[in-house]
Amino acid sequence: MMYDVCIIGSGAGGSPVAYELSRAGFSVVVLEKGKEYKEEDFNKDELAVSRRELFTPDLKDEQHVIYELDERKERRRYLGSEHQWSFWNGSMVGGSSNLMSGYFHRMKPNDFKLLSTFGEIEGANVADWPLSYEELEPYYEKVERIVGVSGEVATHSFLEPRSTSRFPYVKLEENGVTKWFDSACKSLNLESIPTPRAIIPHAALKRNGCSYSNFCGSYGCATGAKGSARAALLQKCDASVITEAFVYKLESDATKVTKAHYYDSDMKTHEVSAKIFVLAAQAIESSRLLLNSKNSFFPYGLANNNHQVGKNLIFSGGGAGEGRFRFETLTHEQQKELMEVGLFFNRSLQRWYEYKKSGKKIKGGTIDFLFEHQNLVPRIKRAFYDKGGKILWGKALEQKIHKELTTSRVLNFEVFNDWLPTDECFVGIEEGVRDKYGIPVGAINLYSHPRDREVGNDLAKKAVQVLEKMGASEISYSISSAPPPNLVAGGCRFGENPQTSVLDKNCKAHALENLYVTDASFMPTGGSVPYTWTIYANAFRVADIIRKRLEP
Amino acid sequence: MILNTRRNFFKQTFLGGAVLLFYNSSLYGAAEPLKTLTLVQEDLFPKAKELDVDTASYMLLILDHSRITASHKEFLRNGVQWLHEESLKLHGKLYYNLSTQKREEVLQEISEYGWGESWIEALLTYSMEALRSDAVYGVNKKDAAQKWLGFNAGLPHPKRAYL
Repeated sequence: MMYDVCIIGSGAGGSPVAYELSRAGFSVVVLEKGKEYKEEDFNKDELAVSRRELFTPDLKDEQHVIYELDERKERRRYLGSEHQWSFWNGSMVGGSSNLMSGYFHRMKPNDFKLLSTFGEIEGANVADWPLSYEELEPYYEKVERIVGVSGEVATHSFLEPRSTSRFPYVKLEENGVTKWFDSACKSLNLESIPTPRAIIPHAALKRNGCSYSNFCGSYGCATGAKGSARAALLQKCDASVITEAFVYKLESDATKVTKAHYYDSDMKTHEVSAKIFVLAAQAIESSRLLLNSKNSFFPYGLANNNHQVGKNLIFSGGGAGEGRFRFETLTHEQQKELMEVGLFFNRSLQRWYEYKKSGKKIKGGTIDFLFEHQNLVPRIKRAFYDKGGKILWGKALEQKIHKELTTSRVLNFEVFNDWLPTDECFVGIEEGVRDKYGIPVGAINLYSHPRDREVGNDLAKKAVQVLEKMGASEISYSISSAPPPNLVAGGCRFGENPQTSVLDKNCKAHALENLYVTDASFMPTGGSVPYTWTIYANAFRVADIIRKRLEP
Repeated sequence: MILNTRRNFFKQTFLGGAVLLFYNSSLYGAAEPLKTLTLVQEDLFPKAKELDVDTASYMLLILDHSRITASHKEFLRNGVQWLHEESLKLHGKLYYNLSTQKREEVLQEISEYGWGESWIEALLTYSMEALRSDAVYGVNKKDAAQKWLGFNAGLPHPKRAYL
């Protein structure tokens, strides 16, 4: 059968295309490597989901080889399975969007023109997008309605222009501690922003509302309130989804992709033909597939005759910090507020999205504040050591665990700033290491530009001031060059020039007439926010482009 | 049923076989890994027993999991050997033949070594996982641990074992 569209990957990059084109009457097949889980399959089994990572591949079967470049320009090699270093997120229908926390921020207008706004940075490949915020704005709005974003529009210095005055869903119920945060911000003359979430507060969109289980990040949503690509899109369209289908090669002639070849769970090979192919397998794996799809027309990998595939891989720069609130310093009422379980602490600061340093305008970022994850085992493990760093056991440990968990609570913050694209951070292929399918694995070459950490540290210090003002103790933070595997983009950047980009403005490969890439690979820079909203919005935009192309 | 099957399996695998012990450069005898781990876990966190959490059965369950690496299992088994050898050195007896007070002294001693601290940390972690485990795993049937910590999040519970 010749499909109109074959999509590789069913996450936030692939599902909007499947949703839009299948609803427009086109035949769409989605090839997904993982299994299908639905609401009834999801629960909060911490041991299976978090401790044993149920939803990601076993590194013995599928892994990456990681090359880390340090500041002395020395590169160290790590075999993922040996070092338990995983870059997998969510291998399942809907991809990692099932497991996201759903902190949704739009990118700002200047994020689309970083080079022309802030100028070149030595050692970085900063580029303007070939697309403006104004062009993407209608699709951000579409995501709010169709995927479901809840929140409250608060005026602040870096509020992006909106075509609607409010979110379609009211903000989720909040923990009383948000009042302490708002008060601290007020006294520091900061603008507290209710963080928008891709979680609907009540039944809508043929999905249930939030049950306030407090286990969003890393867990599938048992009510469907979270706007995963599966719950919000795939379950509402009749695109054909083939699960446990690992695409190992795209076949092409000189101008078109002709077939996708995949292995099923029994290691049998299959092929799918289509008029148009859409690649959305997650940034690292999309580049890997293209590089592994060499043929006589593309001897360096599909769409890679200019050696751009895999280049300019980016993550989210920044890091995280925390402060603890203890009963000893709180009123009885405050103690009750602190221990309220389920209600959200949705607060962000974007006051330093851009700031001045030594008279120069610097691109900053976002700080999200949130309660420590409810996972019980890591919270207990924090009590294992005394102040001197000696491991505890017996009665001393029992008492410490009980005290820490029943009379105190940790408030975290997360800093999101640009991970600058460089020549040293890219995806390649490790020919000598193969996965369970016998296919060469991806080689992830890591490097973080020193500016990333400088900005991260500047922002973290601001977050610390807020925690101090709130009365938190034991405040600490860590800004590092460690890449967050769930916030990865680039590798197939879009741009006007085929010499420096893989995709054109429409996210179609410069070199092929019918290959689009719609996961986060297209992003030349990442903005200083989590990526998912932008991935969704761009995929809806590309879906419109493909639809117009397919329409008679 | 899960536990019984795995218990039988384990009798033939790495926790089932005896660990050889050396003392003063010669073979001293052998120790039983599972018996040792069970007792050490009780010594490290007696509250688990009070809460009716069966940490020994949890060990049988989890150490058979595909995500627990062979090198980690080897480390746990080696730790059993080193513990007993330290016990012989300090008190001339196997760990599980010592009084509570003397076992505590052995634990204090091994915690000064890097391997000892890591081994204690690993065993405590498995105990805490047992405390957190949902009823479907059969080792924490009364949810007493969650009640002890006032933990009332984490719904829905799993209806079947995913591990």
